[in-house]
Amino acid sequence: MSFEPNILGFLCNWCSYAGADLAGVSRVQYPPNIRVIRVMCSGRVDPVFVIEALATGLDGVIVMGCHLGDCHYIDGNYEEKMKLDLLSKALQLIGLSGRFRLEWVSASEGVRFGQVVSEFTKQIKNEGPSPFSGSKPNQKLKEDLEAIKRTLSDNRLRTLVGRERAITEFGNVYEEIIEFEEYEKIIDDALNSEFLRNKILIKLEKEPLSVKNLSKSLSIESSLILEHIVSLKARNLIDFNRIDGITPYYHALKEAL
Amino acid sequence: MGENSNSVLVIGGGIAGIQASLDLAERGIKVELVEKKPCIGGRMAQLDKTFPTNDCSICILAPKLAECYRHPNITLHTLAEVKEITGKAGNFKAKLLQHARYIKAEECINCGICIEKCPMRVDDEFDVFLRKRRAIYIYFLQGVPSIMAIDPEKCLYLTKDACRICEKVCEREAIDFEQKDSEVNLNVKSIIVATGYEPFDPSPLVNLGYKHLPNVVTGLEFERMICASGPLKGHLIRSSDRKEPKKLAFINCVGSRDMKYNPYCSSVCCMYTTKEAMIAYEHDNSIQSFIFYIDLRAGGKGFREYIERGQKEYGIKYIKGKVAKIIEDDDKNPIIIYEDMNTSKMKKFPVDLVILATSMIPNKDTPELANILGIDLDKNNFFLSNAYLPLDSSKKGIYICGCCRGPMDIPNSVIDASGAAAKAAENAIREG
Amino acid sequence: MEDIKMGVFICHCGTNIGGFLDVPSLVEYAKTLPNVTFATDNLYSCSEVGLSLIKEKIEEHDLNRVIVASCTPRTHEPLFRSICQEAGLNPYLFEMVNIRDQCSWVHMKETEAATEKAKILIEMGVAKALLLQPLEKFQIDINPTALIIGGGIAGMTAALNLANQEFKVILIEKEPELGGLLRYLYKLYPTHDDASKVLEVRNLVENHQKIKVITSTEPVKIEGFIGNYKVSVKRRDGIYDIDTGIIIVATGAQVLKPEGLFGYNGSTIITQLELEQLLKENKINVKNIVMIQCVGARNEERRYCSNICCMTALKNAMLIKELKPDANISIIFRDIQTQGTTYEEYYRKAREKGITFIRYIPEKVPIVKESNIEVYNDYLNQDISIPYDMIVLSTPLIANPDSEDLAKMLKVPLEENHFFLEAHVKLRPVDFATDGIYVCGSAHWPADIPEAISQAYAAASRASTIISKDVLEVEGAIAEVDEDLCVGCGICIKICPYNAISMDDNGIAHVTEASCKGCGLCGATCPEKAITNHHFTTKQILAQILASGGK
Ligand SMILES: Cc1cc2nc3c(=O)[nH]c(=O)nc-3n(C[C@H](O)[C@H](O)[C@H](O)COP(=O)(O)OP(=O)(O)OC[C@H]3O[C@@H](n4cnc5c(N)ncnc54)[C@H](O)[C@@H]3O)c2cc1C
Ligand SMILES: Cc1cc2nc3c(=O)[nH]c(=O)nc-3n(C[C@H](O)[C@H](O)[C@H](O)COP(=O)(O)OP(=O)(O)OC[C@H]3O[C@@H](n4cnc5c(N)ncnc54)[C@H](O)[C@@H]3O)c2cc1C
Ligand code: SF4
Ligand code: SF4
Ligand code: SF4
Ligand code: SF4
Ligand code: SF4
Repeated sequence: MSFEPNILGFLCNWCSYAGADLAGVSRVQYPPNIRVIRVMCSGRVDPVFVIEALATGLDGVIVMGCHLGDCHYIDGNYEEKMKLDLLSKALQLIGLSGRFRLEWVSASEGVRFGQVVSEFTKQIKNEGPSPFSGSKPNQKLKEDLEAIKRTLSDNRLRTLVGRERAITEFGNVYEEIIEFEEYEKIIDDALNSEFLRNKILIKLEKEPLSVKNLSKSLSIESSLILEHIVSLKARNLIDFNRIDGITPYYHALKEAL
Repeated sequence: MGENSNSVLVIGGGIAGIQASLDLAERGIKVELVEKKPCIGGRMAQLDKTFPTNDCSICILAPKLAECYRHPNITLHTLAEVKEITGKAGNFKAKLLQHARYIKAEECINCGICIEKCPMRVDDEFDVFLRKRRAIYIYFLQGVPSIMAIDPEKCLYLTKDACRICEKVCEREAIDFEQKDSEVNLNVKSIIVATGYEPFDPSPLVNLGYKHLPNVVTGLEFERMICASGPLKGHLIRSSDRKEPKKLAFINCVGSRDMKYNPYCSSVCCMYTTKEAMIAYEHDNSIQSFIFYIDLRAGGKGFREYIERGQKEYGIKYIKGKVAKIIEDDDKNPIIIYEDMNTSKMKKFPVDLVILATSMIPNKDTPELANILGIDLDKNNFFLSNAYLPLDSSKKGIYICGCCRGPMDIPNSVIDASGAAAKAAENAIREG
Repeated sequence: MEDIKMGVFICHCGTNIGGFLDVPSLVEYAKTLPNVTFATDNLYSCSEVGLSLIKEKIEEHDLNRVIVASCTPRTHEPLFRSICQEAGLNPYLFEMVNIRDQCSWVHMKETEAATEKAKILIEMGVAKALLLQPLEKFQIDINPTALIIGGGIAGMTAALNLANQEFKVILIEKEPELGGLLRYLYKLYPTHDDASKVLEVRNLVENHQKIKVITSTEPVKIEGFIGNYKVSVKRRDGIYDIDTGIIIVATGAQVLKPEGLFGYNGSTIITQLELEQLLKENKINVKNIVMIQCVGARNEERRYCSNICCMTALKNAMLIKELKPDANISIIFRDIQTQGTTYEEYYRKAREKGITFIRYIPEKVPIVKESNIEVYNDYLNQDISIPYDMIVLSTPLIANPDSEDLAKMLKVPLEENHFFLEAHVKLRPVDFATDGIYVCGSAHWPADIPEAISQAYAAASRASTIISKDVLEVEGAIAEVDEDLCVGCGICIKICPYNAISMDDNGIAHVTEASCKGCGLCGATCPEKAITNHHFTTKQILAQILASGGK
C-alpha cells in the first residue's frame, strides 16, 4: 500500500478557511489527507502547536492565513510570520522543516487552495512517514524535538519574538530602532543556545553525566558544553551529582521525561 | 406610528448601500435594502484586489455581505426595483416590484446540482461576458443570499414551455415556477440612494479597436481575468492565442476628460491601472507594464506612495502621452500609436495586451429612478449634490451616496454611505 | 466533574454529503466516541425538520454538547447556535464539523478515503466539544455622550448631526473661537460662496441645546474604553474631566510655511493662504502673477500629494481674473489634481478664462530670479522665462505638530506623514482600530470642505451606532489573563491590534472585554502562556491535534 500521510492544517476563519470552502463550492478536487483546525486568525497558532502535532506523529503541518495586508485583525498574520519563521529555523536544526509550511490563501483562491494542499501532500509523501509514528519512533529525534519544543515554549525566545516588531519597527525603550537583520541575529543566537541547553537538560534528566559524556553524545565541543553547564547551574536547573575521580557529574533538578 | 415607523429605504446593494444599511441597523433603525440583481455586493464583488492596500476584494467584502444578510434590522429585497415613491420626508411610501426568483429561498442550499443539469448557456454578466453561466444560476460564487435564481428571459421552460430539468434534479424541491412578480409596499422615513455606476463601453471610440482587436480589453474585464475565482482562474492569457502576455499597456482616461463622451475625470483609473499592473506582476514577474496617462491623479491617502511603489518595486513605466490609435500586427499584437508629450512626436509602441481604463458612467436607468424619486440630476446624469451638503439630494429626506453621485473609490463610497446613514437617521428622528 | 452528554448530528445535505460519504458508518463511528450519548443522521439539518429534531433530542437526552457535521460554520454556525439556545443550551457548547465544503465536495471520487477523513474530523470535533465551556456575552454600559476634539468644519458638522439625533455633544476647541482654517479663507471652490457664509453654521452649533462648546481647551489625558472614556482637558483655569461614550478626532491640519523655498518672503512671494488674506482685504494690485504647485510636496521629505492645493490655485487664479481681467496668471504644475465631475469642469473653466498652465518636472524645478521665473517647459522641450510681480506658492497641508501627543493619549496610530491612521483604509475609513474613537476631516488626510463634511457625517454615523445603545453586547469568545501567571512583561499590550489589553496598578495585564475581538494573537505570543483565548483554548486545540490522526 502506498503511504498516505496524515496532514494537519490550521486555517484562519476569514481568508483561508473561506478559500477552502470556495474550493468546495467550485468542486476543486484535492487529496483527502488534510484535516483542518479552524482558528479565527492565523496569529492564534502558537508554534508549539505545530511541534506538538509533529510529536504526535502527524506527517506534516501547514498553517494558512490571509495574505499579508489582508488580515481581518489588522496585522495578526505579520506577527504569525515572525513566529513561524523562527519555527522553521528551529525545525531546520533537526531536519524537520520539510514537514511544515506557511502559506497565504485568500477567500477567492479556491483553486489555489486545492493546489497548495495537493503540492504539500506530495511534498509530505516524499518526506515519508513521520519519524515519530509507527512501532519504532526515532528516540534521538524525539529528544531533539522535545528540546525544540521547550526552546519555543520558554520565555526567552517568546519574549524576543514577541518584541520583534515593536523593537525593529517602533524602537526599544530608548527609542532606538534595532535593524531587522541585527535583531534576527540576536534571535538566531538565542535559538541555537537555548536549543543546546535544552538538549543538555534532557540528557541530564535521564541520567547524571559529565561534560565529556555530553560532548560525546551531542557531538559538541566540551568547552561549549561547559559554558552551558555553568549557566544552567546558575539558573538552578542542574546540580552536581558526584565527582568520579576528578570528573564532575551533573544531574537535572527537574524530573526526567 | 405605523409598522415601519422608524425605517429607511436603501436603494442599491453595492458597498455603499451595504455600509449605509449596516450603520443604520446598528443604530437601531430598520432598513429595507433593495437590490435589482439576485445578490448584493455590487461592483466591488467583481474586483480582484483593491488599491491602495491591494487586499483581496471578496475577502474583505464577504463578511459584510453575511452581516447584512443576518442583521435582524435589515430586510433584503433582491431582484427588486423601486417603482413608485410618494409622500415626503418622514413619511415616504415606496412601491417595489419584486421579481420572481422561481426559487424557494428557505429551501435552496446552494448545492449547484441544478446548474450542472441546466442545458441553457447564457453570457455571464458578472464575469463581464467572459464566461457562460446557465439559466439557473447564482450571481457569483460567494453571493448573498447564497441561493439560485432563474433567469426568466433565458429559462427554456419560462420562454418555451420546455425542460423543467432543474425541478426534477433538485432534491430540496426548491424550484417554484409558480412564483410571480409581486408588489411590496413600504412606509419609510428617509431614503438613501446608492445605485452606483456602470463602466463605459468604449466601442464608439473606434480608433482604440475595442471589440475589433481581440487583445484590447477593459479594466473591469481585466479584473475578472486576473481574479483567482474568475473565468481564467487567475491564469492570465489573452484570448487570441491563449498565450501569456508579457508586455501590457494600460490606457487611462478612456472616455473620460473627453468632451465627446464624458467630460469629467473618473477619479479611480489612475489608481486602478497601477493596481492592475501590480497584480499582473505579482502573477508573473516577467510581465512589464506601461501606463499611458495625461495627469496622474493620486491625491488620496497613501496614493502617491502607491504609485512610487509601482515604479520602484513593480517596474511600472508611466508614459505621459495621448493615444491616437491602436492597430495590430499579423500576430494580433496590438500596436499603440501615441503622441509623446515630451517630444510632441508620434510614436509606435507594440505590446501583447492593451487594457482600457474606461470611464465610470451613471447607470442607464438613473434618469428613470430620478424621476420616480423626484430628485435632480447633474449635467452628467449622476444624482445632483451640493458642495456643502454633499449627501443631500435635491429633495428633503432623500440622500445619495457612493458612485451614483459621481465617480469615487471604495473608501470614499464607504465614507459617503456612513455619512448618508447619519443624515437619514437625523431626518428619521427629526421628522418622527 | 461535569457529566458530559454529547449529541452528534450528521447531515446528508441531500446527496451533497450522503452521495459521497458513507453517512450511516459515520453515525456508527460517532457512537463509539467518548461521551457521545446520541448520534443520528439528518437529511437536511438546516431545514425546519432537521432543526426541530436537534431541539427535540437536546431535550430528550438532556444533551449538554451538540455537534453538527455538515457544511461550513461560516454560513451555518449562527443558525445552529441559536437552535441550541432555544433548547436552553449555552450556544458556545455547540461545535460544527465541516464535512461538505471541505470533504464530500472536494473528494468526490474517493468515498472510502473521504469517509475516513470525515471520521477523523468528527473525532476532532468531539475532542474539542468535550472541553468547550459555556461563555456569556459581556454587557457594557454606554454613556450616550459624544466628545468631539476640534471645532473646524468637520468637528462642527459632526456635532450638529449628533445633536440633531438627540445625543449630548461636547465640542472642545483649542483656539478661542470655532471655525478652523475656514476663518482665514476668502471664497470657496467650487461654488465661490464666501467662506463666511459657510461659517454661519457656527451659530447653529453654539446655540444648539444639546451641544456644549468649550473653547481654548485641549485634551491632556485620555483613559477608559468604548462607551466609557474619561478625557482630562486643560483650560486656562485648570484641568477638568469629561466623561464620554465615544471620541471623534477632528483636529484638522496646518499649512506648510515654505521657509527657504522659491525665495518665499511673505510679501511678493507668498503662500496661497496669505493670498486668501490679500483677497479678503481686496489688496491685489499687481498684474503678473505666477503660481507654483507642489511646493514642499511630492518630494523626498514629503512624498504625498496634498489633494487640495491644485483646486485652491485654480480658485484663486480665477478669482483674481474676475477682479482684474487684465492680470496675467500662470500656474506651474506637475499634475493637476482635479478628480471627479465638478473639479474637472472647474479646471476646464480656468483654462477657458485664459489662465496659462505650464507643466514642470521635478528634475528641473522652476528657478525664481529677481523679476522672472525660469522654467523648463516639458511640452515645448525648452526653457522659458515668465515675468512676475507676485509669486504664490501652493504648499501642502501638513499634520499638526501636536498630533503625535494626541495619538499617544488616544493610543491610536499615525501614518508616515503623521496624519491619523484609520482601522482599515477601505472598509473602516473613519474608525480607529480602538473601538469608540473616530476621525474625520484634515486630521485624517488633507481634505477639502465637501470631503471633510462627508467624513464628519460618516464619523457621526459610526459614533451613533455605539451611543444609541444603553448597553453594548460583546462576544464571549475573548481573551483572559491569568493573574497568577502574568509577569507584567507588557508584550501582549503592544501586540494586541485593538489596544484591548492594559496594565493594572499591580503590573498585571488585563483584557478590556469591550475591546477584545478574540483574534488569539496575545495567547500565541505571551511568553508565560498566561492568556486563555476562550473557545480556542490551548487545551482545546491540543485535543484537536491529538485526535487528528497522528499515532
Ligand atoms: C475596473 C475598476 C477597478 C476598480 N478598482 C478599485 C480599487 O482597486 N479600489 C477602489 O477603492 N475602488 C476601485 N474601483 C471603484 C469601485 O468599483 C467603486 O468605488 C465602488 O464599487 C462603488 O460602490 P457603489 O456601492 O457606490 O456602487 P456599485 O458597486 O455600482 O453598487 C451599486 C449597486 O446598486 C444596484 N443598483 C443599481 N441600480 C439599481 C436600482 N435601480 N435599483 C436597485 N438596485 C440598483 C447595483 O446592482 C449594484 O449592486 C474600481 C472600479 C473599476 C471600474
Ligand atoms: C489656502 C487654502 C484654501 C482653501 N480653500 C478651500 C476652498 O476653496 N474650498 C474647500 O472646499 N476647501 C478649501 N480649503 C480646505 C479647507 O480649509 C479644509 O477642508 C477644512 O479646513 C478642513 O476642515 P477640518 O475641520 O478638518 O480642519 P480645520 O479647519 O483645520 O479645523 C481643525 C480645528 O481643530 C482645532 N484643533 C486642532 N488641534 C486641537 C486640539 N488638540 N484640541 C482642540 N482643538 C484642536 C483647530 O484649532 C481647528 O479649529 C483650503 C485650504 C487652504 C489651506
Ligand atoms: S435550486 Fe435545488 S438543486 Fe439548485 S442549488 Fe438550490 S437546492 Fe440545489
Ligand atoms: S446544514 Fe448545511 S449540509 Fe446540512 S442540509 Fe443544510 S446546507 Fe446542507
Ligand atoms: S494638490 Fe496639486 S499642488 Fe497640491 S500636492 Fe497635489 S499635485 Fe501638488
Ligand atoms: S504577555 Fe503575558 S506575561 Fe506579559 S503582560 Fe501580557 S499576559 Fe502578562
Ligand atoms: S484576543 Fe486579540 S483582540 Fe483580544 S486581547 Fe488578545 S490580541 Fe487583543
